[in-house]
Amino acid sequence: MSDAQLHGDAVDPVDPVDPVAEPVIEAVVEPDPEPDAAPAAEPVVEAAPAVPILCPACGTVNDPDAKFCEECGTQLGELVEVSSGPDASEAEAGVEPDQVTSSTSAPRRACVYCGGSIADDGYCELCGKPAQSERDHWQEAPAAWVGGVCDRGIRHEINEDAMALAADPQAGEFAVLVVCDGVSSTPGSDKASLAAARAATAHLAAGRSTDLAEGTSDELAQARWSARMLEAGERASAAIYEAIGELAARTNPPSCTFAAAVIDGPLVVVGGVGDSRVYWIADSGKSRQLTTDDSWSQEMMAHGMSRQQAESAPQAHSITRWLGADSPDEAPHVVPTYPTGAGWILVCSDGLWNYCSDADDLAELVHRVVGMVGSNPVQVSSSLVDWANEQGGQDNITAALARFDSVVPTPAQPA
Amino acid sequence: MAEFTASVFQNEFLSDGATDVHAIVTVTVSGAGQAGQGQGMAAGEIIIVDTSGSMTGENLGAAKHAAAVAIDQILDGTWFAVISGTDTAARAFPYPNARLPMVQMEPGARAAAKQAVASFQPSGGTAMGTWLTLARELFQATPQATQRHAILLTDGKNEHESAQALSQAIYNATGVFQCDARGVGSRWQVDELRQIATALLGTVDLIAKPADMAADFESIIKQSMGRGVASAELRVWAPQGSEVLFVRQVAPTVEDLTTRKTMVNPLTGSYPTGSWGDESRDYHVAVRVASKPVGSEQLAARVQLTVRDEVVASGLVKARWSNDDALTARIDPAVAHYTGQTELASAIQDGLAAKAAGDAATATVKLGRAVQLAAETGNDEATAKLRKVVEIDDANEGTVRLRRDVAKLDEMALDTASTKTTRVRK
Repeated sequence: MSDAQLHGDAVDPVDPVDPVAEPVIEAVVEPDPEPDAAPAAEPVVEAAPAVPILCPACGTVNDPDAKFCEECGTQLGELVEVSSGPDASEAEAGVEPDQVTSSTSAPRRACVYCGGSIADDGYCELCGKPAQSERDHWQEAPAAWVGGVCDRGIRHEINEDAMALAADPQAGEFAVLVVCDGVSSTPGSDKASLAAARAATAHLAAGRSTDLAEGTSDELAQARWSARMLEAGERASAAIYEAIGELAARTNPPSCTFAAAVIDGPLVVVGGVGDSRVYWIADSGKSRQLTTDDSWSQEMMAHGMSRQQAESAPQAHSITRWLGADSPDEAPHVVPTYPTGAGWILVCSDGLWNYCSDADDLAELVHRVVGMVGSNPVQVSSSLVDWANEQGGQDNITAALARFDSVVPTPAQPA
Repeated sequence: MAEFTASVFQNEFLSDGATDVHAIVTVTVSGAGQAGQGQGMAAGEIIIVDTSGSMTGENLGAAKHAAAVAIDQILDGTWFAVISGTDTAARAFPYPNARLPMVQMEPGARAAAKQAVASFQPSGGTAMGTWLTLARELFQATPQATQRHAILLTDGKNEHESAQALSQAIYNATGVFQCDARGVGSRWQVDELRQIATALLGTVDLIAKPADMAADFESIIKQSMGRGVASAELRVWAPQGSEVLFVRQVAPTVEDLTTRKTMVNPLTGSYPTGSWGDESRDYHVAVRVASKPVGSEQLAARVQLTVRDEVVASGLVKARWSNDDALTARIDPAVAHYTGQTELASAIQDGLAAKAAGDAATATVKLGRAVQLAAETGNDEATAKLRKVVEIDDANEGTVRLRRDVAKLDEMALDTASTKTTRVRK
């Protein structure tokens, strides 16, 4: 997460453009080791149950719409795998079929490190590591070619990173990857980032279902997705406002970065606010960072400072733009692009790129990891997270990947 | 209803690259009740008295009196027997012609047992292994008595059987009953009785004067009858890939439990602790774990007391890696204290062994170190006993001179007391 942010005057958040819940497209949760060990990852608006939720682990009373216990981070409510063919009527009604059904007997959780079970004392019975809440570490794999891992890292007490992914089963056709990184100086940023990522993914994923008009030209598609990306930023901002409640009135209200990639093969549209990034990692040839940071170090580099020098400065992580109630400007920078050849779209937080910022260096790392674990995106993401933890895990770490296996026909590059 | 608590004293912060985690776990039982009073529980008590020829005179007279006092302390309903030991063992009560191996205490049995004790006649030699074997057989023939304790008194060396025979008898008795061993006078061997007491989860002590015997017996039996929690086990879980370096009882006495481990599951070892009254015992647990990155936390051990496989108290030993020297450099006072007390015990024993072997140089160094440790850890009893064996020139530096003409009893007193520890000064 970003350690500090430059504050402007608090601005009222943008009202939600469309208060009606968006239908969901192809959001599949791949539960890690146990079905109920995975976090809720459906990018949908939830129907609030009438009563507050009692945490099965620590007994804390949580808000009716809480997904994780405020006190201990335990996931609230049961999670059921969402099928990839959603029921349209349910989706339109904004009802999540597997929504919070409070389970009375909390099943034994699995240790995310070794798969052992967590004892009542909160530590793994096998490796002894403390139980991680699902908010601390989870993975998503909406399709075989898209997956990501979000992890607390080592040094931070809580995970303020968040991600939300959606994808079509057909490789290279359609996917949405969103990563948000909560600002660590501000309590509640973990809630802000999760709400923002989910709302943005929902809006982007919904964009496709209504816009499959045949004969769409490349220019039209670019324009449409660029507009949609701006809306997604607004949705994310609105979701933050809704998620944090009274915290919005704080001097430093909860806030987060935003990095999104929509893959509408062969077009890729990226959007960014803050310093989370989207990279094109080519299997061979030039890899590129597709987003531009809104950060002190980026500004310094724009003024001629070397990347190495700028990014190692103490204030390198001061971001100049963010999503949140006091954001001066939250419109994502949008860049459409057509990657050539085979490779990966990588969306990540600074917890990863801090250790490997340059696109070619990062590509080398990804290639090395793929050489070791193969090209399953969740496994590659997981290995990238492990690698960042081995480097010190100073920050929360999120890595989300989409795989482009075949060379897709490339229209003319946009200007 | 007995209540159990476990408290952990440790510095959980480890420096980068460190692997060894030390902790003192204090286990306390209160409301233990009386031996054999629990549901489906009965206590068994056997008094073993040396009646060899060497006991003739004051010693046997005192032993008879002490045994009678002990019999008075055994609660009604307790299964009991009395063994007279020479170079063989004989059951003195129930009388040899009785059908039952042991009987339950009641006023008639108490009077008859005292009569049997009063008629002891000294003769023959000393073979303690045979005494232990008979006690084991009596206990095993009395399965109703589930909580079993014996007290063994001798005045001499185990001269009439091989050391191997004694070891075998001790081995066979291990886990069948607990045994406190007492030596009267100065002709018995501290290491022999220590071998018995250590294996059979009891204590060893010296009774210098025959007149003190009755009071000692009374307190031993009282304590045994006050142990309402039978056969508790200390269980130590350590994470996969770790190594339990040692598990020691460090208070009230030092006992290394490491080699007594039986595995409950691949990650959990169990160590027998015998019966418990209302008391508190401290354990020093050391675990080696793989070093983790700075900022990581993990559980290094779960230390639990179990009774009939049920966990009744649990303490968590943790490890957290930090690069803050202020956090990692501190040694927990309890760990430091008991590390010193453990070294004190071995310094005394090694020093006395060297002295007995005529190695004055080693004896001086070891006992000097013992004096230093006793001073550092505030073990005044050890200091007082050391004073009778060495002249202390400088306790802080550990400079001492061996005394000439040291009374054998004073050396034995120092030896038997070597494992007694003082608690941490709060």
